[in-house]
Amino acid sequence: MTRYAMVIDIDKCTGCFSCAVACKAENAVPLGVWRTWLKMIEKGTYPNVSRSWMVLMCNNCQNAVCVRVCPTRATYRREDGIVMVDPHRCIGCKYCIAACPYEVRYLNPLKKIVQKCQWCNHRVDMGIEPACVNACPTDALTFGDLDDPKSEVRRIVDSKPYQVLKPDHGTEPRVYYLGVDMAVMRSSGPSESDREAGENKKTGLHVGVERRVDKRK
Amino acid sequence: MEEPILIYNIFHEHPFGLPIAIYFYMTGMSAGSFLISTMSYGMGIKKFKPLGKVGVVLATLLLVLAPLNLIIDLGQPLRFWHLFPYMNFKSAITWGSSLLVAYPLNCMIYGYFMFKGDAKLTKMFGLIGIPLAISVHGYTGFILALIKARALWNTALMPIYFLVSAMVSGIALMILVTFIQDLVRKEKKLNVDLAADLGKILSITIIFDLFLVLSDVLVLLNADSEAKEGAAMLLTGSFQPYFLGVEIILGSIIPLFLLLFPFTRRNPVTLSLASILAMIGVFAMRYVMVMGGMSLHLS
Repeated sequence: MTRYAMVIDIDKCTGCFSCAVACKAENAVPLGVWRTWLKMIEKGTYPNVSRSWMVLMCNNCQNAVCVRVCPTRATYRREDGIVMVDPHRCIGCKYCIAACPYEVRYLNPLKKIVQKCQWCNHRVDMGIEPACVNACPTDALTFGDLDDPKSEVRRIVDSKPYQVLKPDHGTEPRVYYLGVDMAVMRSSGPSESDREAGENKKTGLHVGVERRVDKRK
Repeated sequence: MEEPILIYNIFHEHPFGLPIAIYFYMTGMSAGSFLISTMSYGMGIKKFKPLGKVGVVLATLLLVLAPLNLIIDLGQPLRFWHLFPYMNFKSAITWGSSLLVAYPLNCMIYGYFMFKGDAKLTKMFGLIGIPLAISVHGYTGFILALIKARALWNTALMPIYFLVSAMVSGIALMILVTFIQDLVRKEKKLNVDLAADLGKILSITIIFDLFLVLSDVLVLLNADSEAKEGAAMLLTGSFQPYFLGVEIILGSIIPLFLLLFPFTRRNPVTLSLASILAMIGVFAMRYVMVMGGMSLHLS
């Protein structure tokens, strides 16, 4: 059996966004939506300040909520663990977007179906690694088979302290993080600027660059 | 310690919008009017007889229109038929797609026999319709309740909360319909007795509804951090006007006073006002639940 997994080592990551850009190009991801991106926060007061970030993408969960809630079985899990969306089956009801605890799914504004990171299944099937892994200049991303005892992902997961996002949701995510700050792993919470979100809606762009200035004392 | 500042993140569009809230509202009113209709023709409570026919017509109309909101909300509306051949029995939407076919059909058969005057078959289809009406609205509660990711939705109270608020909006609609029916037929006297009786039931359902809201918010305030953020959003945040203002004060407490106060509980004007306010309050509840539940970002 094959059981794919991704390891993201934030200690190696420089936050260069190459993975996000490579994914956009490889998968023809339209303007305004993203399959993989970086989330960044700043914390502390001078002189003790720091910036933390992490790479976000679909966790291709072992026990995926999206697969359970899809009313047409358009979302399904392959034998090797990649969670897929059948573009011809999906009706765009968006229930999976509401149900995903990681908010990594989007409605394609052009095709009007739900899409997400599928770990470049078309590349994996040809025996090459996903575009983001290929593009990463510091080898922070590692993709491989957890069931293969000789694979790099298996070695890291077996030998290093890792974290996954929201383990309490019982989804069994298959993206393992090394060296991520808890402050950035936490959900962003309520949208503080409803007005700004409304403006984005008009242009059809939903890239939220949000500054929580109001929370600063 | 200061709160960390979010520098950059991607937020995708909210999956559900106003059509979903309207859909929940319409199914709720349909279930409510159907249950009032079966009070006389199904369970034989004579005093509700004037509402039997108009109740079933409204229940059918609302439930034929309600799913149209779901279809226009789809990214691919012409693919809606995929819901039937490719069913997934673990999905609450699949439960709904069968119920949304069975319930209006049953309503039509029940209405047909009622207008034909066949008391026995009317009673039979009326009684079959009661569990269907409860399921067709109860399942909408499960649609939200089964989503663990959304703190405001993921509560076992949700289905019963939806059912009770459905009864509030359905009964309120029936009070208005009682008066409108009498006005259209140019009756000499409005049927205030029937409306006041419905008003009594309405006040009980509103009290029950308020109790459920109180339980929900109290538990949210004492649950995990996301639930607290959700409760704060309702009580002090951006949804405060819709939740506290419209749903609680305008839509529950003011109608409750109008329905219990001796001078207003038998007056057609104040009874109608209470009903309209209660219906607005239930719509606010649907809106707050659907939109509020999604406005907490998860990434």
